[in-house]
Amino acid sequence: MAQEQIDSKEISRRDLLQGGLRNLCLLGVGGAAGLLIGRSRAQATVWQIDPYTCISCGNCASYCVMEESAVKCVHAFAMCGYCDLCTGFLEPEPDAINKGAENELCPTGAIKREFVEDPYYQYTIDEKLCNGCGKCVKGCNAFGNGSLFLQVRHDRCLNCNQCSIAAACPSQSFRRVPADQPYIIKEAYHAG
Amino acid sequence: MKPLTGKSGTNILIGIILALAIAAAVIALVTTDRTAKKGSRLGPEFGYDLTEQKKIDPALILYREAAPVIKTALQKPTALAVGPHDRIYVAGDREICVFDSQAKPLPKIKLTSEPRCLAVAHDGTIYLGIQDHIEVYNDQGKKLAAWESLGDKAVLTAVAVGKNDVFVTDAGNRVVVRYDKSGRLLSFIGKKDPDRNIPGFNVPSPYFDLAIAPDGLLRVVNPGNLMIEAYTFDGDREFWWGKPSTNSIDGFSGCCNPVNFALLPNDEGFVTAEKGLTRIKIYDPAGKFVGVVAGPETFAEHDRILSGKGQGNLEGGLDVAVDSQNRVLVLDPLTDEIRIFTRKTKNL
Repeated sequence: MAQEQIDSKEISRRDLLQGGLRNLCLLGVGGAAGLLIGRSRAQATVWQIDPYTCISCGNCASYCVMEESAVKCVHAFAMCGYCDLCTGFLEPEPDAINKGAENELCPTGAIKREFVEDPYYQYTIDEKLCNGCGKCVKGCNAFGNGSLFLQVRHDRCLNCNQCSIAAACPSQSFRRVPADQPYIIKEAYHAG
Repeated sequence: MKPLTGKSGTNILIGIILALAIAAAVIALVTTDRTAKKGSRLGPEFGYDLTEQKKIDPALILYREAAPVIKTALQKPTALAVGPHDRIYVAGDREICVFDSQAKPLPKIKLTSEPRCLAVAHDGTIYLGIQDHIEVYNDQGKKLAAWESLGDKAVLTAVAVGKNDVFVTDAGNRVVVRYDKSGRLLSFIGKKDPDRNIPGFNVPSPYFDLAIAPDGLLRVVNPGNLMIEAYTFDGDREFWWGKPSTNSIDGFSGCCNPVNFALLPNDEGFVTAEKGLTRIKIYDPAGKFVGVVAGPETFAEHDRILSGKGQGNLEGGLDVAVDSQNRVLVLDPLTDEIRIFTRKTKNL
């Protein structure tokens, strides 16, 4: 009786080949699935600028493959001081604190200044005029809270496999981020 | 010579076109500046250059660095004060580092929260500003009291201790808060009140310093107005001084300066610290510019970031304090250093 049971468990050559073939198929299907998942993950990323390491060198304005750069200045209102004498909007030593073109820092006039309440003003970016040069970012970082910063705008970016601005970025601030979190928004700090 | 047939002529033409295409591609590859070695190629109007503003006439520099730098080993130093016997106190992380006047480390005071500002009374009692409230420690580092919170919006940035009063600046609510020494809130100073000719404090960033001057008046920075204002303890605005100027050394630069200041002994005036253009300067008691302690070139890390030559944020303005020997101490949060400057001559 015991001998019969042992005999019935013996594996024939055919069983071995069938099992092997089945396992190979499974491995193939698994591998293909893994490749597809990996590829879909790779595609689900987009280019973005790390605003904490960006040095506003100006290359974003001139190295994008698009005629009008996909990089624009954005504004974190939560960080803004709403300064009257905004150093992202005005020349370092303006003749007057107003919207006069001679006093504005932005060479393309892309920053709009609006009175909120005494003594506070709100600044917004006109993206049609902004070329992503980062001059205002430098002014804001130098004296203010750093609420102006550059970001790749994904309604414009072609998401090139090799971003030409990333290749020209001296501070290696361009990196791939998940497509469902495509922006790196600066947060308020409270230095002592 | 054998004449060219139609087929071989076409082949030669294709060869020439291919050669030209390859040559054009090679030229494009060689000449294209893919790594931006030639810069952004933008015109000068797109540059932001403060080179001229950073220059300071050497004749105006009245101080020199005359002691070794003190490293605190804090990750995030936030405030500096000088106490009795010229002891140096630096708050940051969750502790207060204490040094004697010769920079010898003394026992640290451990804290349970991150400090933002501090002041040390004549008896060594430490008044520490945590985010929204004051904590009091004795000179041995024992916690004596935690005062009531000023609310969720509060961001305490400076403390000054008088004989009977403690004054605190709250950048979040843009007021000075007056307490008695038991922690009882007495009044708010500096709220906008046109009837009393008080414009209100314009505080765009969390820098909002104050001190009690020898004339018995408070001095409070109105940073967004680039001024220092004098208030009575009852909240009357007496006078003010300061003007915006980035190009000229006698004014305060940028949007909101000075970030911190300290009083010189013997009513000799003020030491002010600016962010952006990192300038430490001296003003007389009436607010007239006297000279410079140190300029942007002295604070290389700030200058490197300001010039776009390095990464980092310029958050963390310099803090200043003065000891009884008239030495100016400067806390640089970017480098975690205390720099000590002494006057080149006796007379300012």
